[in-house]
Amino acid sequence: MIEVENLSKSFGKVRAVQHVSFTAPDGQITGLLGPNGAGKSTTLRMLYTLLRPQDGTARVDGFDIREAPLEVQRRIGVLADARGLYQRLTTRENIRYYGRLHGLGGEALERQIDRLIDMLDMRAIANRLTEGFSTGERLKVAIARALVHDPRNVLLDEPTNGLDVMSTRAMRQFILRLKDEGRCVLFTSHIMQEVAALCDQIVIIAGGQITAIGTPADLRRLTGKDNLEDAFVAAIGTEEGLER
Amino acid sequence: MKRLWTIIEKESLDNLRDYRSWVTGLFWAVFGPILLGGLILLLGNTIRDRVNGSITLPVQGAEYAPNLITFLEQQRIVVEPAPLDPQAAVIAGDVNVVLVIPPGYGESFSAGKPATLQLVFDSTRQSAVVDITVVRNLLEGYSEYIGALRLTVRGVSPEVIRVIRIEDVDTATPQSQALVFLSMLPYFIIFAIFNGAAPVIIDATAGERERASLEPLLINPLPRGWFAVGKMLAAVPFALVNLLVTLAGFAAIFQLLPVEELLGVQIRLSLDTLTAIFLVCLPIVLLACAIQTLIASFTRTTKEAGTYLPFVGLVPALPGIALAFLPVKPDLWTMLIPTFGQQILINQFLRSEPILLSNVIISAVLTLLLSVLITWAAIKFYENERIITGK
Repeated sequence: MIEVENLSKSFGKVRAVQHVSFTAPDGQITGLLGPNGAGKSTTLRMLYTLLRPQDGTARVDGFDIREAPLEVQRRIGVLADARGLYQRLTTRENIRYYGRLHGLGGEALERQIDRLIDMLDMRAIANRLTEGFSTGERLKVAIARALVHDPRNVLLDEPTNGLDVMSTRAMRQFILRLKDEGRCVLFTSHIMQEVAALCDQIVIIAGGQITAIGTPADLRRLTGKDNLEDAFVAAIGTEEGLER
Repeated sequence: MKRLWTIIEKESLDNLRDYRSWVTGLFWAVFGPILLGGLILLLGNTIRDRVNGSITLPVQGAEYAPNLITFLEQQRIVVEPAPLDPQAAVIAGDVNVVLVIPPGYGESFSAGKPATLQLVFDSTRQSAVVDITVVRNLLEGYSEYIGALRLTVRGVSPEVIRVIRIEDVDTATPQSQALVFLSMLPYFIIFAIFNGAAPVIIDATAGERERASLEPLLINPLPRGWFAVGKMLAAVPFALVNLLVTLAGFAAIFQLLPVEELLGVQIRLSLDTLTAIFLVCLPIVLLACAIQTLIASFTRTTKEAGTYLPFVGLVPALPGIALAFLPVKPDLWTMLIPTFGQQILINQFLRSEPILLSNVIISAVLTLLLSVLITWAAIKFYENERIITGK
């Protein structure tokens, strides 16, 4: 479970995130929706402890991101906006490196890597150097290494960015599977349809602030619009981010 | 601790597979020995020619001064006819020095007046300096000899015009000339250490940022400073290999080349000397890895890092070049400057001079202290969020 309280962050004069509060419960998918530059990635970066909040805080399974960043890091699996791989290492070696950094090792780690390779359908590329991988293949490796320590909370920054239709479908199936396993899934997207299709809860963010929050049905009711698309436009005030 | 090792292991494997970059690093380890070997061969041959060969002197108007010519030939000078235009020949570099005897020479000589001779040469040409000096000295010797004879004929002792006599006491041995070369050795050694570590460090710091793998890496549950330390330590074996290779290279040069025959001195890099130099250089290995890790961490791309780091390696090596020309005593203050102290110590080892153990310890401790300080700065930088935002 991720509880966000009054989180704020500025870069110089730019107020990237202001007073953001929400809760992402276990066994649910929470979508952080907003146009580009709305503050989604900055919020996520604070949650995965890379940036320090200026004000407010957040707790992951009860551990404060400011006071116990290492405990938080052990409990989260992150697909960051930056998802570079080590090109001179194989898929398996890339995943193994992260597993070891989490303190795993030996047979248990190898079994976990096998499980992830099966789950993400990567057997064909498991022992290949990751140099020259397609966007979809690179994404799978990045997800596998993020989940190698079997985290209860999964944070995904724009997980379908740059994927083709088939890969996007597979990605959405995978996110649903994480939810079925009882994990807390928090992901960002600027694509309304994607969020609508997957999320139990939607947090709409624009200009660094939350403008609306709730289930898809809540949002329709809140904005007085019949379909979610109109609700989204009403919430952020522009049509930016609609997939056509 | 185990996870620190994980970082070192991964960076080593990753960089070993990038054979192009470590081969480039290794190139600098063999560059020094090869360059030094080439210089020894080149200079050795020139010296040997000088010592063994006689000087050929083109003379214009030899017929006006037969006695002078006989004198010169007795002094192992090979006299040959001068080119038509002596000045043009010297300017063109065909000959080093030309003696011109004017037609009026015999007349002045017989009249007991100073007879003029002309030496045509280019004083800026280093390779001609020896020939010029030898010829000039011989001519002055002849002048003195004839003058002394004339005085004796007039019943005056030649000693009367000898007010002072200069005795040369030159402490330079043939060895000191060769030792100028040896003074370049520390420079090459330090340069090899820095360049061995550089490719690994660039890839592990700037490269990590460039390929967008730094951010996910730092989310792993380790104190961030460990990543800085791990990346730094991963470069240590590469720097050590470069140090060993370059030392082996120098040892091979002095073993394979007939240095004694070429330079007239014996230079031995015994196993003891090599071991001593290796040990003295160990703190420099840490310093090289630490300082390059810190600087490369600030850069955004490998290209940017690649433009800065060669200068970082050059700075501590600069005193080594100065040492080749300006001898510095192993005073305490020199030991206080990291890398400078070691260069002086290496020189002392090479010359088999007595070495103060305190100097060795002081230079090692200060270099290690500086390394720790720089590592600490790198850790602080990794803990700062500027490493993510890049601002």
